[in-house]
This record gives sequence, structure tokens and C-alpha cells, in this order.
Amino acid sequence: MASGQLVLTVLMGVFLVGVAAFLSRVEDWRSYTPLASGGGGGYGEAGAHVHREKPAGITRWLTTVDHKDIGILYGTYGVIAFAVGGLMAFLIRLQLVAPTGAVVGNEFYNAILTSHGITMLFLFGTPIIAAFSNYFIPLLIGADDMAFPRINAIAFWLLPPGALLIWAGFFLPGMSGAQTAWTMYTPLSVEQTNVGVDLMLLGLHLTGVSATMGAINFIATIFTERDDDVTWANLDIFSWTILTQSALILFAFPLLGSAIVMLLLDRNLATTFYAVGEGGGPMLWQHLFWFFGHPEVYILVLPPMGLVSYILPRFSGRKLFGFKFVVYSTLAIGVLSFGVWAHHMFTTGIDPRLRASFMAVSLAIAIPSAVKTFNWITTMWNGKVRLTTPMLFCIGFISNFILGGVTGVFLASVPVDQVLHDTYYVVGHFHYIVMGAIGFAIFAGVYFWFPIFTGRMYQRTLGKWHFWLSMIGTNVTFFAMLFLGYLGMPRRYATYDFNSAIAPLDMVTLMHQAASAGAILLLIGQLIFVWNILQSWLEAPKLEDADPWDLKETDQHGREFQWHERRTATALADGGEEEEAVTDGGEVVDDDADDTSDD
Amino acid sequence: MSLADDTTEDHGDHGGHHLPAVEDWPRGFGEASWWPFITAVGAAGIYVAAALFVLGRAEDPLVGPMVGPAATVASIVLFLAGLYGWLYHAFVVNFWERGTDHHSAHTLRLAMICFLGSEVATFGAGFVYYFFIRAGAWPPENLPHLLGSLIVINTAILVLSSFTLHFGHVALRKGNRSRFLQWMAVTLTLGIVFIGGQVYEYYEFIVNEGFTLTEGAFGSAFYGLTGLHGLHVSLGAVLLGIVFVRALKGQYSAERHTSVSTASMYWHFVDVVWIFLVVVLYVGAEIGA
Ligand code: HEM
Ligand SMILES: [Cu+2]
Repeated sequence: MASGQLVLTVLMGVFLVGVAAFLSRVEDWRSYTPLASGGGGGYGEAGAHVHREKPAGITRWLTTVDHKDIGILYGTYGVIAFAVGGLMAFLIRLQLVAPTGAVVGNEFYNAILTSHGITMLFLFGTPIIAAFSNYFIPLLIGADDMAFPRINAIAFWLLPPGALLIWAGFFLPGMSGAQTAWTMYTPLSVEQTNVGVDLMLLGLHLTGVSATMGAINFIATIFTERDDDVTWANLDIFSWTILTQSALILFAFPLLGSAIVMLLLDRNLATTFYAVGEGGGPMLWQHLFWFFGHPEVYILVLPPMGLVSYILPRFSGRKLFGFKFVVYSTLAIGVLSFGVWAHHMFTTGIDPRLRASFMAVSLAIAIPSAVKTFNWITTMWNGKVRLTTPMLFCIGFISNFILGGVTGVFLASVPVDQVLHDTYYVVGHFHYIVMGAIGFAIFAGVYFWFPIFTGRMYQRTLGKWHFWLSMIGTNVTFFAMLFLGYLGMPRRYATYDFNSAIAPLDMVTLMHQAASAGAILLLIGQLIFVWNILQSWLEAPKLEDADPWDLKETDQHGREFQWHERRTATALADGGEEEEAVTDGGEVVDDDADDTSDD
Repeated sequence: MSLADDTTEDHGDHGGHHLPAVEDWPRGFGEASWWPFITAVGAAGIYVAAALFVLGRAEDPLVGPMVGPAATVASIVLFLAGLYGWLYHAFVVNFWERGTDHHSAHTLRLAMICFLGSEVATFGAGFVYYFFIRAGAWPPENLPHLLGSLIVINTAILVLSSFTLHFGHVALRKGNRSRFLQWMAVTLTLGIVFIGGQVYEYYEFIVNEGFTLTEGAFGSAFYGLTGLHGLHVSLGAVLLGIVFVRALKGQYSAERHTSVSTASMYWHFVDVVWIFLVVVLYVGAEIGA
């Protein structure tokens, strides 16, 4: 019946091509350019004249559909998740200072390891990016609000219950946190009888639904809500990265959702989706998970790249070098990131030809990443660099991203990966990116826009302490991990009491202790960050200057600061006399300002 | 209350600029609404209910076995109440004075396209599983008899419903409301008949042939995919039902038909998935066996 299958395949192909052709006709795709859609701005304007007071107290936050409020909600949520995930990480590092494990039992170690990964990726990473995109995308594209303000609110409110479900295993009696690692590989995750796993899977699915709703909203907003004078040609770089990210979310998260539902069914209703032997087996889970998982890492890194591309030129006094190529490389990464997933599976015994092709694409994806890196460096080259806190974090981002990216290229090469897979080298690689790059870009964004969020300025000395502690802490911790990988230390172990005759136990112990020492620096840095943000928000003097970074001078006064200026102008009309605020590098207000230009 | 009256007379004075849903709750704040919060709590409640259900099945259960199902019902009610409040205030209540807004029609259609894109991924994972086992040893031991008159008729019904829906939409755009209503009624009936056919097929398989969800690798694929599709058809029928009711109440016109077109995009999509599903899952399972 081979011919029968062939005929069927061809017919199906023709049918699908027909569907595609029909789709291309049914929608007038070009109508989404602002010129053709005519009343683009009019819609937003209509609402703008109406006064819009908000209810008071807690009701305001529960009922808000304003994108800026929702951005703040996302931000608060993300920071809380960051604190929870960070404390878990700290416990992990504490445990590993001694080969036999210093503080917790193995099971609990596994649970916090799993929860740390899930919390940081799904409860901190995606939401904190959504905080920035919610607050700023409408301002940057001149929209009145998101395309669907209420869907926006729903998407946020799905997150807190999601977090509770994910963490439920820890505090409900009779169960423990899931011990599956964030990758939830089967058959382990099918066979683990702990109900905490089911709750975590349900919570993950819920956060995935939230992310997908957000993505649809951002695509619709960026396509249809742009002001008349915001075209594709002058759309800012942050919006481009959010658009690409949303497209990735659109295909990645629902797929994970279905994979999770199948896992839940296997666990609870005796289906055979991932059953070893007759079902899809462990390989099915790995394919599905990484088809989501690799795009997920770019879902997390593209918007931070956008933040850096947006902020860095503003403290270099120059336009972003090769703007177009930064946009193209963003789109290229978006497309390629769906074609590299099997580089996480090089050691599973998949077909060597598959391995080779995935290696090729994985190496290729380094090219657009490198394009960006060179563009950032060139932007600073000969620029009037002002080393403000946000700029320091941008530069730290580049430095850490290079280390993370280069180690990624090594891992993408099959023979190297076969040695380093599932060692601490991998942990070092991705932490250079998720903490050293993504985290840093988030900090840069918080400091850069702090005047817009709060109308005040943070304390710059504390900001600098935060930067240097984070930078040194990151590099101590994660460089030690790279080295541990070379020493052959496997990842995810709760103890490492090897036979020192066959393993360099002293060296391994020392490196683990170094990593933990770095973690202490990181912890202190983040405490300073939280203190700085909270105290400055509550007590810092009001900023009267609506252009605290002196962006007008270099003609880089973006739409969000223009909006801020209009808002400040109206607010000042009803009298705001307070002491003069000190800016970080914008105007030199007092004489010990150390932010002079660097040449 | 009668929608038609409500929309034409009472709210006329809002005139040129008004907020999306002035009459909303809490009242008087165009920028605030309880509905998203309620909808989200309802939706999250469904997940919590699933969790309670799992908890109730554990060996040493934390909660009684009926807590889960009860919470499910309560959450769904809350969820639907939230959706109703939201959609009613945002789209239905002052349907006519919102003006013919081509812009927001575009936005809604684009959002529907994005949603359908995400649906491709949702279904994709299930199909990948099926391809995995299909590429392995085939046929499995207990492959039921899949291709019968029922599936042919049911497929024909669903495909036909896409056409009738399209005719209805065209009639509306030509301004022929009564024709539109007739085609909508036909489409809805066909959709419900299709769901009935699926239920009947499940009944046949489960009760008469003993082919169940836990019946091995193909059972998971079959019930997983047809179940997921069935959920989608049911949701599609609900959407068409809403459109139909609104149409009966006098809404929609040749210029104002956004939700008709988004609902039909969804319906056509579900139809296309079904064709793909029948070819690979029904025909494809038997053809090499
Ligand atoms: C420059 C391009 C990159 C390449 C070529 C690359 C390559 C790789 C490879 C081959 C692995 C698998 C290592 C193994 O398990 O043996 C890996 C793991 C990983 N990468 Fe990358 N990577 C790149 C960029 C990134 C970025 C930007 C991120 C994060 C945003 C990231 C996050 C991760 C994560 C989280 C893992 C570990 C997954 C796990 O097993 O838990 N990578 N990378
Ligand atoms: Cu990857």
C-alpha cells in the first residue's frame, strides 16, 4: 500500500497548499500598514479627550485595564518571582559548598532545583518582559492603549493562580515540590507519583495560556494601533523585538501546552502518549519540549536585546549602528530558532544526519547574534559614552552575552557537546545568558525608565554598587561553573562526594565554593537593588526635569520620554515645589557627578 | 431586556466620543472593569478545580472526590459570567452607536488569525505523537474499524456547514438579512448534528467495540485528537450560537459583521483541521494496515 500512502500524501499536500492560497486571499494583508488603514489614529484619539479617573484603593488595581497599571502589576509580580527563585538558587548554592551536601536533603534539593528553573523562566522571565512591553509599547508606537485592554488584564490575572499551583507542592500537606527538573523529561515525570507534579503542570499550562493571550495582544497592537507617523520603517527596535517574540510565543507555548496536557493524561488517565515501547516514548517528549524550549530561550532573550539596542545608543550619543541589520537579525533569529531544537538532544542517539543538520543550523544562529553584538560595540565606538547605571548594565550585558554565546557555539558542535552535555558547562552557558544578559538588560530598563515609572530618580551610588556586585558575582559564579563543566561535574546533582582517586574532588569542591561565593555577591547586589528601588520610589525628591538623561541634546528623545514630558508639564501646573533632584549622568547637577563622558 | 430597543434609542445621547463601555461595572469608570478579573478568576478556577480533582483521586486524598467536579462547575459559571459581562458591555449593548469602525474590525480579525496560528501548534503536538507511532510498528493490535458510513456522512456534514456559513455571510454582506438568518440556522444545525455524530461514534467504540482511551497507543491518538477537535467544534458551535442569537435580536448589517467573520474564520479552521484529521488519522491508519 505504499502507493496508496503516496497518493494520500500528495493529495493532502495539494489540499494544504489550497488552504494557504485561500488564506492569502481571504485577508487583505497589506491593509495592516498604517497608511492603508485610514482611521488608524482616530480610534485612539476619540478616547483621549475623555477624562479618565480611576477607582481608589485596591479596587483600582483589580479593575484596571490601563496598560501602564498592568505593566506595573507584571513588574511587581516578576520581582516577587525573582526573589523567590533567587532564594531557591541561593539554597542550591549553599547546599553545594560541601561534597556531601551542606544543608538540605536530596529530595528537597531536587524540588528547589526544579522550582528554581521553572520560577525563573516562566514566572520571572516572561512576566518581567511583559512589564516593559505593556508599559512602553503603546507609548512607543503612539497608541492609546493595547489593542485589547481587557484581554490584557485577564492575561495578567491568570498568572498569580499559576504561580500558586506551581509552588503548591511545597506547602500542601502530603506532597512535595515536583522533582522533575525544569525539562520534565519522561519517563521520570510520568512515573513520579507526587501530586505536586500534576499541580505544577497545571500551573505551567495556565501561565502558557496567559503568555499566548499576551502575544496575540501585542501582535494586534503593533500591527494595528500604531500612530499615523509610526511606520514599519521607523518602528523602534524594542517594538520589533517584542513583535518577533510574540510570534515565537504564538507557536511555542501552545505546543508546550498540548505536550503538558498529554503528560497529565499519561499521569492520571493511563494514556500512552509517552509510554516507553508502544507509545511515543521519551524521545517524543524531548522533541516536543525542545521544539518549545529552544524558541523559549529566544522568547526570553530577544526583548532584552531590544532593550539594550534601545538604551545603549542613548548613552553613546549616537544612533544605533546598522539599525536595519539589528532588525533583520532579530527576524532571522526568530525564524531560525525553530530549526535548532535537536541540539539539546545530541547525546540521545538520534540519527547522525539529523545531528549534523541541527549542528549546522545552530552554528548559523550564532551569526545574527554576532551581528547584534558587533553593532552594539560599533555604536559605542567613538561615541560620547556616559557610564550611567543603565549604560553599565548594557555594557555588562554585552560582555556576558559574548561569553554565553561563545560557549553556546561550542555546545552546538556535536563532538564538543558529547563531552560537555549534562555537565555544569551547560549550566554556565545558559546562566551567562539568562542572568548575565537577560537579567542585566532588565536592570538597565528599570534604571533607565525609573523616572517615568516614579517621577523620581534612583540613588546612583547604590545603582553602581548593584552593578558591580552583579557583574562580579555573575562572572565568579558562572565562570566557575564553566570550569566545573570542564572538570566533568554533572549538573543537577545534590551531592558530589566522588571517589577522589578518580575525580579531582578538591578542585571540584573549590569551584563549587567559588560559585557559592559569587552567589553571595549576587544576593547582596540584589538586596541593594530592591532597597534602592523601594526607597527611591517612596522618598526620593520629585524630578522636575522631564528629560533626565539629556536625550534632547543628541536628538534621541524617544516617544516615551516625550509622553513623560507632556505628563510632567500638566502635573507641574498644580505646583510641585520640592528639593532639587540629582540625576544620574544627565545634567551634571552637583560636582561629584562621576558620569563624565569617556573618551 | 430587548437588545434592539436598547441599542437604538436609550443610548443615543452618548454621541460622538464615549468610552468603550460606560455602563460598565464599576459604573462611571471608562477605564476600569471588574469583568477581566472575574473572567480570569473563573478561568484559573478551572485549573484549580482540575488540581482538586487530581487531589481527590490520590491515595490519601486531601479533598473529597466531588470537590473537584463541583469546583469545575462553579468556575465555569464564573468564567462564563465574566465573559458575558465583558463581551456584552464591550460589544453587544451599544452595538449600533459604536459606529462602523473598520479599524477595530481589522484588529479583531488579525487577533483571530493569530489565535488560529496558535491553534496550529496546539493540534500540532497531538499530530506529532500520532506520526511517531504511525511511523513505528503498524498496525497496532487492536485497531478498530475506522472507515464507515458514519465518518463519511459526518465529514460531509461538517464540510457542508462551512459552505452554508459562507453563503450566510455573503447574504449578509449583500444586505439580505433573512437569507443570512436561514443559512445561520442551517449551519448551526449541521454543526450540532456533527457533534451528535461524534458522540455516537464514541458510544459505538466505547460501549460496543470496547475501544477506549486506555486501549493502547492508537487509542490515545484517536481520543486525544478527536477529543481536542470535538472541543473545538463545540466551542465553534457556541460562538455560532451567540452570533445567531445576536442576529435574531437584529444585530449585524452589510457593513457591521465583524463577529460573523471572526466566528466563521474559526469555524472554517476547525473544518480544515477535521479534513486533515480524517485523512491522516482515519484513512491513514487503515491504508497501510
Ligand atoms: C548563540 C547562540 C546559542 C547557541 C549556539 C546555543 C547552543 C546551546 C546548546 C548546543 C545547548 C545544549 C547543551 C547541552 O545540553 O548539551 C544549549 C543549552 C542551553 N541554552 Fe543555549 N545556545 C545559544 C544561545 C542561548 C541563549 C540566547 C539562551 C537563553 C536565552 C540559551 C539558553 C540555553 C539553555 C537554557 C540551555 C540549557 C537547557 C537545559 O538543558 O536545561 N542559549 N545551548
Ligand atoms: Cu537551544
